[in-house]
Amino acid sequence: MATDALRAQVAAKWQESFTRLNQNEPGIVGLLNFSQAWNIARECIRPRGLDEPDPLTEYDKSTFQASFELLNKCRRLPILLETFLDDMRKRLPVIKEEVDQYTLEYERTSDTSFILNLVFRLLQWYNKWMPRSELGATLQSAFVLSFQTHIFSILTPTFVRGFKELCASTLPPSDPSTSAPEPNIKMWEAFETLGLLDRYENIIASVGYEHIEAHVVSNFAGQWSTSVLGELRKWMTNQVVPWMLLMYGRNATTTDDARAMLQNVGSRFDFHMAKTLCDLRTKEIFDIIIDFPESTGALQDLKECLHRVDQRANLVHTLRKANHKRLLHPGADTRLILTQYVATIKCLRVIDPPGVLLFKVADPIRRYLRERPDTIRCIISNLTGDDDSGDPLVDDSEPIQPLHQTELEEYNDPNWEPEPVDAGPDFRANKPSDIVSTLVSIYDSKDLFVKELQVLLAQRLLSVTDDDSEKVEKERRSIEILKIRFGEAALQACEVMLKDMSDSKRIDGHVQSQNETVLHPTIISKHFWPMLEATEIVMPGQFRTLQEEYAKRYSTFKPDKQLRWLPHLGTVHLELQLEDRTIETNVPPLEAAFIELFSQQNVWTMDKLIDQVGSSVDKAAALKALLTWVDLGVLKEEGNNTFSLLEVADAAGTTPREPRAVANSAMELPSAPSVQQQQAEQMKVYWKFIEGMLTNLGSLPVDRIQNMLKLAPGYDQTVEQLGIFMEAARLEGLVVVRDGIWKLTPK
Amino acid sequence: MEQITSSLAPPRAPASNKSSQASSSQSGAGSVAKRLGNELMTLMMSSSPGISAFPKSDSNLFDWVGTIEGAPGTVYAGLSFRISIHFPPNYPYVAPTIKFETPCYHPNVDIASGTICLDILQDKWSAVYSVQTILISLQSLLGEPYNASPLNSDAATTWKDQEAQVMRYYRPISEST
Repeated sequence: MATDALRAQVAAKWQESFTRLNQNEPGIVGLLNFSQAWNIARECIRPRGLDEPDPLTEYDKSTFQASFELLNKCRRLPILLETFLDDMRKRLPVIKEEVDQYTLEYERTSDTSFILNLVFRLLQWYNKWMPRSELGATLQSAFVLSFQTHIFSILTPTFVRGFKELCASTLPPSDPSTSAPEPNIKMWEAFETLGLLDRYENIIASVGYEHIEAHVVSNFAGQWSTSVLGELRKWMTNQVVPWMLLMYGRNATTTDDARAMLQNVGSRFDFHMAKTLCDLRTKEIFDIIIDFPESTGALQDLKECLHRVDQRANLVHTLRKANHKRLLHPGADTRLILTQYVATIKCLRVIDPPGVLLFKVADPIRRYLRERPDTIRCIISNLTGDDDSGDPLVDDSEPIQPLHQTELEEYNDPNWEPEPVDAGPDFRANKPSDIVSTLVSIYDSKDLFVKELQVLLAQRLLSVTDDDSEKVEKERRSIEILKIRFGEAALQACEVMLKDMSDSKRIDGHVQSQNETVLHPTIISKHFWPMLEATEIVMPGQFRTLQEEYAKRYSTFKPDKQLRWLPHLGTVHLELQLEDRTIETNVPPLEAAFIELFSQQNVWTMDKLIDQVGSSVDKAAALKALLTWVDLGVLKEEGNNTFSLLEVADAAGTTPREPRAVANSAMELPSAPSVQQQQAEQMKVYWKFIEGMLTNLGSLPVDRIQNMLKLAPGYDQTVEQLGIFMEAARLEGLVVVRDGIWKLTPK
Repeated sequence: MEQITSSLAPPRAPASNKSSQASSSQSGAGSVAKRLGNELMTLMMSSSPGISAFPKSDSNLFDWVGTIEGAPGTVYAGLSFRISIHFPPNYPYVAPTIKFETPCYHPNVDIASGTICLDILQDKWSAVYSVQTILISLQSLLGEPYNASPLNSDAATTWKDQEAQVMRYYRPISEST
């Protein structure tokens, strides 16, 4: 089918090739020469077995050169190269067999020396097959590339494992007492020649990383008292860098060279060291905070590490999680949470002065604290130093400052700095303020604090008995301190309360001077004291007489004022004269009232007793009061809620029974309703408003109600709280809701 | 403390203040609002049966809506009337304007416009009166009309014997109001 043209073309090609190979020799002499030269050249670069002799022993050097030159002239060298590589490929199974053998041995014994031997064996093959350098760089580099490619394809994952282990065995031991193993320079050279260093760079690096990790964790976990970063860097210089030099700096002749070579890898290792330490400290952060201030060193480290590695988000995340798990649960004491919160503030201020981290971590704690009913009480009692349990939250060294108000940003400030980049949208650049301001700012307003403070103060002042002016003085002192923080105006009521105390003393002195009486009342100004629980006991018998006489004298002294007794607060010192014995004791007024009644009649039922002192006394309280007397052996329970007086001590009754609640009940603080109860009281007022607006304006959505309630003085509930309240009102059947519109239940 | 004393202080005499009130109505607005706020508080807390009032919106304290229930034992017993209360800027020196929004067939009430003829809302007004006192007066006016000067003479004549007639013009407050 071939056309003439094609035929002619093939003939021309053939002629051309022939001429090239024949080298213009007559006949086919040139062709024969070429054939010989090809055979010699091929034979001498043929990949041989390790025990075969070197080609130089068979042919002399000039013959080679002549053959290669001839081949070169005929432009057949590329073909020769391909043939060579092909030959090599054919011999590879031999190597593979050996590799398999060695790795198998390693797998069996886990002895890295097999891997080492394998590497050396490979090196032998490599050197054996390496074409002579006279043959040109092209041939050599082609060989290296091809050889390495084939080797890598043969090496199994087992080898990689062994290789890693081998590298690890060259590391300096973390125990400084044993000396480092002798550096095996030959081995590293073999690695390099075979291209293993480049190929397994990651593995070698991971060996280094793991070494660093192990060192950091085993030596520095739980060591928070001092900064360890410097020590760690020194360790790196002394131990890890020499090791790195083996790999990365072998070719360096001068130290400058070495430094340049290590720059890149060194900074990677340093980064890894910082990251490891940072991870470790992040994991320990909760306990570090607990240990503060003994853990300052660790915090310094963490600060520096965070500069180097960007793990801030991780730190926040870890700490929040730890807080959630270990701190913010019902089992933790409020005091404890506060202490930890304060420690957190201090610690994170060390790590991150601008306070972004703190803001992110503190948020859940603050939210949680806001929900705890006793937070305010805890803070206040701590502020006034009235806490027996543990250290005060606030150092005495910290200067007492007025509370900071959140200020608007001052852009004219020449030292103004923008917010840090990772600050959230509602991050407030809170200027470094003192701990107390931070604690108080948990709540939106400090009014709550002031109110709670009043309640606490009231409780404590009322528990002061006469001649105990030292206590009052102590309260005065703590109020003075708090005044600096909260401002004069806020604590005005407290001031009045304290003044009431001293005034009472004065008035009492005056009344006593006219007509001595055993009654020493504390006269308080109703408006300035928190609401006191009003159980109205009507004191019977002599007590009432005493009260009335005192009141009369008081009103002559201060005609414009009137005494309203709160007889349930206070204590009574009694001396009971019974037929066979006298009992002297301090009791609360209810107890005194009951025993007074027993002086009129010897047997009472509890209900009758309660009727006598005014029916506002609940049964539990009455029973407790009666049992106090039973414990003292004055009364005897006859069963059926009937009690009788023991004029003559009961034989059984006088056996000293542990006086149960006497000590306690006398010491118990008079109760003033907490802020929460007062809030419930407040809500009743707001209900009137809601009722009023719903009566007159028909039906309203909750938003409108919320807005309208602003008309009510002091209304500070959120719309959510209002919603809850409305829902409660609905359950009581006061209102109905339809499509979010509330109205009064039709009559 | 200041608040307490100021609220306890007797209201100033209207005569001495009339001139200054006009000129300083701007600054007076705050104190009027304060007084109205106090009155609202008192009214809410007093819980007088059958009377109630509340500002129409939280932004304007000068317009209120009130509700008066007929006192038991009168012909108006069981009925409730809606009224509107508008306070002038110089309240309490001038009486508020009060009208019945619900038509009220009563000798002293104009059934069409709702205007009320009550002495304390006109010439007998005094600054010591408050929303609460007005509402109580209105409630008692329902039961005891002042027949000498009727606005609705028809009602005045039928008052004595045809009590049932009163009911003819009554429409209860509907849901929509």
